[in-house]
Amino acid sequence: MTDDWKSVFFSIINPHQSVNLQFQFQFQRGGTMQQLLFEFPGNTAILEKVGNLAADAGRNAGFDDMEIGDIELAVDEICSNTIIHGLKRDPTRMFQLVIQWEKGFIEILVHEDGEPFNPAAVQPPDLTASVEERTIGGLGIFFVHKVMDKVEYHTNKDGMKTFRMSKRAKSNS
Amino acid sequence: MNVTENMLNNISHIILEGRFDSDTSAIVEKIIREKIEKGVYRFILDMEKVLFVASAGLRVILVIAKDLRQHHGDLYIASLQTNVRRVFEISGLDNALHIFEDAEAAARNFDE
Repeated sequence: MTDDWKSVFFSIINPHQSVNLQFQFQFQRGGTMQQLLFEFPGNTAILEKVGNLAADAGRNAGFDDMEIGDIELAVDEICSNTIIHGLKRDPTRMFQLVIQWEKGFIEILVHEDGEPFNPAAVQPPDLTASVEERTIGGLGIFFVHKVMDKVEYHTNKDGMKTFRMSKRAKSNS
Repeated sequence: MNVTENMLNNISHIILEGRFDSDTSAIVEKIIREKIEKGVYRFILDMEKVLFVASAGLRVILVIAKDLRQHHGDLYIASLQTNVRRVFEISGLDNALHIFEDAEAAARNFDE
């Protein structure tokens, strides 16, 4: 079953910002796998929405609360990197997010053709350093590798970057 | 993200409510930096109502704690929810920072 693309408009209003946002999504079901495809703008205000969508998919797939927290963390870190480094926080530029899941398994893909960025070049943090010695940065990508089972990254010849990560529920393994 | 601030015994209690991610971390950093510029070097960050923290939030906590310790002050963390505490633990910052059960325990430690 394939639905047409649907548009969602929503507003974020709080003491610090007021922003109207739009994203598009499409739902597909193939065999036991369910899939949601999204087009999001390069605006960090959408991160809460993205986190909630990934958490809902994780819940649907039967992950426990801690695993759902891990999935939400990983998708936030990847989309945050995409918006800040890839799209330079430009809300007129878009990235694609794919969330696909079945019982006990979730896979998340982010496609974006913005600025070159190689997560493999990011230095891992020194987890034992004191506050004074600890360097800033490198934590986001480290988190993703830590909480997801499989993480892959590649850039195709047209400059389209794809970040793919997946996780299997402990209770189903 | 809602941020409220109370001053008690020369300690600034910053109470966060909402997600502490790359969308909201700059707000928190700005509010704390404004207090530092006024000569406040002792802070308690109450995170009881924070249900999600990302690396951007931890980055702000780390840079602020670094600055404050240079002024013989500190940023104490209070009331972490289970999922949030897990992120601190994965980062190793649970060992580097001072984390307390609640804001009262953090305040007592500043007094000692």
